[in-house]
Amino acid sequence: MLRVTKTHVSPSVPAPGAFRRLPGVRAAAAGAALPLLLAACGTAEGGTAEDGTWTPTKPIEITAPAATGGGWDTLARTSARLLEEEELVDQSVQVVNKPGAGGAIGWAYVAGHAGDPHKLFVTSPPILLVPMAGDSDHDHDDFTPIARLATDYMVYLVAADSPVETFEDLAAEAGSGGYSVGGGSGPGSMDHVALAGALEASGADATRANYIPFDGGGEAMTALLGGHVDAAVVGVGEALGMLESGDMRAVAVSSPERVDAVADVPTLVEQDVDFTFDIWRGVMAPADLEEAQVAYYEELFADLMETRAWQEESARLGWTDAYLDSEEFGAFLDDTREEFSAILTEVGLQ
Amino acid sequence: MSGPTTEHPGGAPSGGSARRARRWNPLSPVAPERAFRFSPRTLGVAIGLFALGYLALAFQMPDYTAVSVPVQPSTLPRWLGVALLILAVLLFFQRAPEEEAPAGPAAGTAPGSGDASPAPSEAADGGAPGEEGARLGRLEDPRLETGLFVAALCVYVALFEPLGFVLSTALYLGSMTWYLGYRRHLATAAVALGLPFALYAGMTWGLGVVLPSGPLPF
Amino acid sequence: MGMLDQLLHGFSIALTPQNLLFVFVGVLAGTIIGILPGLGPMSAIALMIPIAYGMEPTSAIIMLAGVYYGAIFGGSTSSILLNAPGVAGTVATSFDGYPMALRGKAGKALAIAAISSFVGGTIGVVGLMAIAPSLASFAVSFGPTEYFALMVLGLTAVVSLGGRNLVKGLVAAVIGVMVALVGIDSQTAIVRFTFDLPELYEGVEFLIVALGVFALAEVLVMLNRRGRGGARGGVTSLRLSGGELRRITPPTLRSSVLGFFTGVLPGAGATVASFLSYSMEKKLARDGDTFGQGNPKGVAAPEAANNAAAVGSFVPLMTLGVPGSGTTAILLGALLVLGVQPGPMMLTDNPDMFWGVVASMYVGSLVLLILNLPLIPVFAKVLNTPKAVLVPLVVVFCVVGVYGLSFSVFDLGLLAAFGAIGFLMRRNDFPAAPLILGLILGGLMETSMRRALQISGGEWSVFVTEPISAGLLAVAVLSLLPAVVRALRGRRRPGPAAPAPAAEEEARDRAPTPRG
Repeated sequence: MLRVTKTHVSPSVPAPGAFRRLPGVRAAAAGAALPLLLAACGTAEGGTAEDGTWTPTKPIEITAPAATGGGWDTLARTSARLLEEEELVDQSVQVVNKPGAGGAIGWAYVAGHAGDPHKLFVTSPPILLVPMAGDSDHDHDDFTPIARLATDYMVYLVAADSPVETFEDLAAEAGSGGYSVGGGSGPGSMDHVALAGALEASGADATRANYIPFDGGGEAMTALLGGHVDAAVVGVGEALGMLESGDMRAVAVSSPERVDAVADVPTLVEQDVDFTFDIWRGVMAPADLEEAQVAYYEELFADLMETRAWQEESARLGWTDAYLDSEEFGAFLDDTREEFSAILTEVGLQ
Repeated sequence: MSGPTTEHPGGAPSGGSARRARRWNPLSPVAPERAFRFSPRTLGVAIGLFALGYLALAFQMPDYTAVSVPVQPSTLPRWLGVALLILAVLLFFQRAPEEEAPAGPAAGTAPGSGDASPAPSEAADGGAPGEEGARLGRLEDPRLETGLFVAALCVYVALFEPLGFVLSTALYLGSMTWYLGYRRHLATAAVALGLPFALYAGMTWGLGVVLPSGPLPF
Repeated sequence: MGMLDQLLHGFSIALTPQNLLFVFVGVLAGTIIGILPGLGPMSAIALMIPIAYGMEPTSAIIMLAGVYYGAIFGGSTSSILLNAPGVAGTVATSFDGYPMALRGKAGKALAIAAISSFVGGTIGVVGLMAIAPSLASFAVSFGPTEYFALMVLGLTAVVSLGGRNLVKGLVAAVIGVMVALVGIDSQTAIVRFTFDLPELYEGVEFLIVALGVFALAEVLVMLNRRGRGGARGGVTSLRLSGGELRRITPPTLRSSVLGFFTGVLPGAGATVASFLSYSMEKKLARDGDTFGQGNPKGVAAPEAANNAAAVGSFVPLMTLGVPGSGTTAILLGALLVLGVQPGPMMLTDNPDMFWGVVASMYVGSLVLLILNLPLIPVFAKVLNTPKAVLVPLVVVFCVVGVYGLSFSVFDLGLLAAFGAIGFLMRRNDFPAAPLILGLILGGLMETSMRRALQISGGEWSVFVTEPISAGLLAVAVLSLLPAVVRALRGRRRPGPAAPAPAAEEEARDRAPTPRG
């Protein structure tokens, strides 16, 4: 699809690997011609010191494989801002949006930079789901896990004036067909699975639900607001603003227990629907990173989560801390893939 | 062929014209107005072939089956291919403008024959710009000239990363400006050396848009 | 008038000496960045974010507003002077702006662009102030069905942009849509027409096509013509006569209003606005057939529309948290980086910021006008450059613009290819504008259509049963009627319908009649 369509409706930052703020950094980079050339070619570059530690030598780029305003984007921008604000990195941290294809476009972009330690991306269940559906040439094995940071949950939204009051109502409508439910990711991807899994668990016919994919939760909610879809499935963090303003109502949240940020929304479990879905959020890097580079980022994000500012932000965004280091995160990803595969098969999506 | 020609573009005008003479003798150099103009018939066939190729690809595209979708990703491409095919047929049967105007073999007169106004204006154009000359390039056949220009561009692009921005751009600017007939060589040199460096400095250090540096030590 | 008070408060923030300085800096930097083909407002803002980041949020946003306006104007400048549109929103400006420059009226074209931009911006701000809260409901009233209809309406402009040979215009438009479909399909993630090249997964960057088929093709045409018939050196004054001002006033006003409302729709934005207003004015104008040959109205309309749309796109951004254009997406990013969260609560929670931004946009556009009108003759000097120097320079600027965007030599190859395609199109009288239009609107049209049909369960009738969609489609059909009638009439009387062969090409050849 046309890239400008993306840049037009949604964002794209023009200059990957671009920002340089500090004159000192500038001089340092200018003094190293070879890294610059190599960086332009997207090849690995050495910043590893003699004692085996590594520090970034140029601005760090965090890719959000979705449009501005969605969950990935929020995570990317929040971490980028806090990393700079809390002065945890010497380099600037820049967010690049690569929306489309449920994340596959962003992953293809990062995968094209194997070995480049300055290109991180934020990740969540789609990195497992989208490849499972055969919709991405890359799955999580093609990247280096850095850390799992936090989890978020799904909310099931309807318009403020909708007759639907409980998830049971929603399931009855959706299961009878002709009831459109918008989500921010492609068919068979995260939002769709969160919907289909919950419908299936409630005993409704999940295959009859009319799921409409949008480019991000923001777009899905806009469509719900305009009455173009009947309901929407988005992350809690994305929906906070709309819920606060009273434009929409949440009939259920997919967490095991109620979430502080939306304390008045009942969980699915409370409504006798045995289904939970958590959107863990983490950070990954291209393949072929050196150990020292992985160690650097592990520690960086662990430090980040220690900060007060992170705690405040994550409370505001409705996230729960769930740190796992690179190795644990990798194992978790493998386990979760098994679990999702089972759900998808049950729902008939695989 | 493009390699040497561009490294020393027009380095030997005589050699260039000799080669041109050999290769293009049967077709005498066409007037600029005729170069790269094709009859509706040719265009129709070319576009029709493109449409057929496109349709072949569109029909090989897999359907999306995970969820039922009313419009497949291949639906619009198929319509587009068919539409283009129809348009190609319409184009094929359009009246050729060349057939109306008697095709004078190498007549360099105004193309919209019947309309006299271009001639004086172009004549005035030729006279006015003065010292740098109205004529760009050196070869007689505009087709060859255009091909050379495109080839030079391709060489520039190919050398862009290996040589770095400053060197490749200096080379390109200098040789093209000189080849196209600008005679103030000092100014050419100043532009060719100064501008790439200024752009590089502005983009890479000023804006952080890192251009390839090549073998130069900065 | 609580809102007026708040706007005045916003102005009191925007007009402090310190903030005025930031506006100046921003406008100047934006103009310079924007003039480089390939670097538009989006890139300019993105490039300035790190600098803005260390500043106080309000000052930072004010500076970015300056950058924004400066870059739009810079983009118009390269569209007009070099036929090298750096931004989608200024493509339509080049249709008449460049022919004006060829006729030695570059100064006038730039002045018209500056003035109508300013008017568009002003009307946008007034609209924003007067009806912002109720506009949110207008913005969300457009769903996939309505966007499909809007894109169809936009695509009907192909007929008016297509020059005299409708078939060739349609061929260009179809190919434009084909280019738009290259890449991973966002609805199903199926890969289309990428030939397994990962470089194509993200699709073909608009800018590559625009610089190729406009700027590079122009350079090749210039070369092919042996340098005859290019832009004339020497620039007439930028002063507009009273008559000229009167003639461009109605198009400017109409396009500002149309542009503003188009900009409010999160899925449309400045580019759609500029194309819609250009084709609307072409149809409304009595001298509509001179559009594309240097009609001042053809510069005023898209410029007013794209600026008004830029302001309008702040409505979905500020009230819904949904960016309506690439530029507002970047601005949203900047706001988030500065710790401001736009969304439905912004007008109530953070009115200072909202009105501060509105006021600073206004100040930005005013400063731009004051700063740049005197600079126009300087910019226009570009045209005095000998062609032998100008031709390679344009190529270098295109290459830098494309490379700076994607850092990909593959994309440079694409640029060269589209340059060659654009040149062959020019030589054979295929208009480039429909190609660009198909490229911009085609992808949006397909996605909207498929989403709408997914919602309706494959029921095509939604497009005519939904009132807004039906209305837009009706307008689209009506706007096609005159052309259909003309075509039918032309068939009956073959004489006048088959005019001189090389319509547009020769119009441009003829354009530079000697001055004085």
